[in-house]
Amino acid sequence: MSLAAILPPPPAVRPVPGLRPVISFHGVSKTYPNGTQAIRDLDLAIYHGDFCFVVGASGSGKTTLVRLLIREEVATTGRIFIDGQETTRMPRRRLPKLRRKFGIVFQDYKLLPRLTVAQNVAFALRVTRPGQRHLREKVEETLWIVGLEDKLNKFPDELSGGEQQRVAIARALVHRPRIFLADEPTGNLDPDTSWGIVQLLLQINHRGTTVVMATHNREIVDLCRRRVIAIENGRVVRDEAEGAYLREGEATI
Amino acid sequence: MRSLLASVRFAIVAAAQNFTRNLGVSMAGVFTMGLIMLLVGVTLLLTHTVDQVLARQESQADVINVYLKDSVSMRTIADYEERLRQDPRVAGVSFISKDEAVIIAEQEGEGFMQSAISTVGSNPLPASLKLQARSLQGLTQLNRIVKTYPITDTSTGHQTSYNPNVIPTLQAVIFWTEVVGWSLSALLAVISLVIIMNTIRTAVYIRRTEIEIMKLVGAGDWFVRWPFILEGMFGGILAAAFGTVIVGFTYNFVLEQANAHVFLGVTADGPFLTALIVVLVAVGAGLGGVGSFLGVRRFLHV
Ligand SMILES: Nc1ncnc2c1ncn2[C@@H]1O[C@H](COP(=O)(O)OP(=O)(O)O)[C@@H](O)[C@H]1O
Ligand SMILES: [Mg+2]
Repeated sequence: MSLAAILPPPPAVRPVPGLRPVISFHGVSKTYPNGTQAIRDLDLAIYHGDFCFVVGASGSGKTTLVRLLIREEVATTGRIFIDGQETTRMPRRRLPKLRRKFGIVFQDYKLLPRLTVAQNVAFALRVTRPGQRHLREKVEETLWIVGLEDKLNKFPDELSGGEQQRVAIARALVHRPRIFLADEPTGNLDPDTSWGIVQLLLQINHRGTTVVMATHNREIVDLCRRRVIAIENGRVVRDEAEGAYLREGEATI
Repeated sequence: MRSLLASVRFAIVAAAQNFTRNLGVSMAGVFTMGLIMLLVGVTLLLTHTVDQVLARQESQADVINVYLKDSVSMRTIADYEERLRQDPRVAGVSFISKDEAVIIAEQEGEGFMQSAISTVGSNPLPASLKLQARSLQGLTQLNRIVKTYPITDTSTGHQTSYNPNVIPTLQAVIFWTEVVGWSLSALLAVISLVIIMNTIRTAVYIRRTEIEIMKLVGAGDWFVRWPFILEGMFGGILAAAFGTVIVGFTYNFVLEQANAHVFLGVTADGPFLTALIVVLVAVGAGLGGVGSFLGVRRFLHV
């Protein structure tokens, strides 16, 4: 029997009156072609400036949620709105514009090994805004934000894991996205380095960017006391404004 | 403008990187496609040459030679020549003497003529009136008339060179040569598309992280496609250049050699060869571009 069945229904995060969510899901389900139901009838609203964790065991559907957000996967049923725009039936040609609203990082950093740190960051701008003026200044400024201003000309394999993730964050940040998505960004990092990355995400949030971080790192979630959306088998089982990884008093499994 | 220039630059640099990063696969693709372009070139040139030879025959098909008795006097021949010239169906008449007949036969490749004559001791070829009709219908009628002339040689059974089947036959041969030539070329073009698609598959595989990032950060589909399309076009042009250079040299050489031995009635057609090279290079670029586009769609879903 699942936890959701034993425990009382979760206290929903109250919608802010008069404010339109940056992200909202309405009865969204996702069934993969092989029949796996990764997301089931999910409702969700995230407001501008939020910082929220999406927590859940491996296979609970966190990555699928992220992929639905950027329309890398299409919802099987339901509607998803980004910035008030329905994306579920958006034509393909408008996807680039949708994706430029997001900055996204993953557990593996997906850096290009032949490019330097600065070139990796510049790449994002060169392929989305070719001919951009002041490219170098923008790249340097962003690398300064993530604390890598002295590593501009290093190659990824000359950096530590934490530094590589910072390069990936800079690349996701360089076009100043409205929403920052991080899918298990600390999955490959030791606790101290992980904490540094989360500090950076909090800082980014502090500057006004909405941040959604999928993770199953318990210490980090518990330390931050931010909004926690817990999913299990593709359903939201808990959504708390200042939550912990596990419900108060719930036993460690 | 600035953005367009930057995009073009990005696509060219990326295409060059694609090409050189998997140079082995690229060159193998270019070589294979070059061989195909070579085959296409050979096919089209052969078709053209056969057409030329046959067309020359066809142009001569409204001409008949009326073979004359050796015993007839020049005077009588001149009378009949004049009578034919008055005929409205006739476009032209000329007399070919026995000696001229030998020269023509030699030109047309019957090199043994001279030695045959010296062995036999006399010239076996008849003199003739070369008669050009204004129309094929007129030719048929004229043929019937000249056969009744007393000057016409009736001893051999064929008084004239008239052959009523030659024209339809030639036209059919020309038609089918073209059909076969062009079908074969089209088939080879399709094969080269498949080869290009497979070359691009490797290029896509090598660049997969880069493409993934491009899609994630919101680069447009065409931004992702262009480097591959350019790479394909570049490869196609190289292949066509490689193929046509070989075809061109071979064509000139073969026709030269052939003409030294047999009379084909055609020499290397320079303008046609130039046009063929230009067209094949354009086709190579086109096939390369289209093949890459299809490959990118297939393996990248963009
Ligand atoms: N591309 C896919 N095709 C089929 N099933 C998938 C695919 N991606 C994920 N799944 C399945 O969907 C479920 C949710 O996966 P995922 O969203 O990756 O979870 P998480 O990120 O929380 O580990 C799992 O059962 C997983 O096996
Ligand atoms: Mg995941």
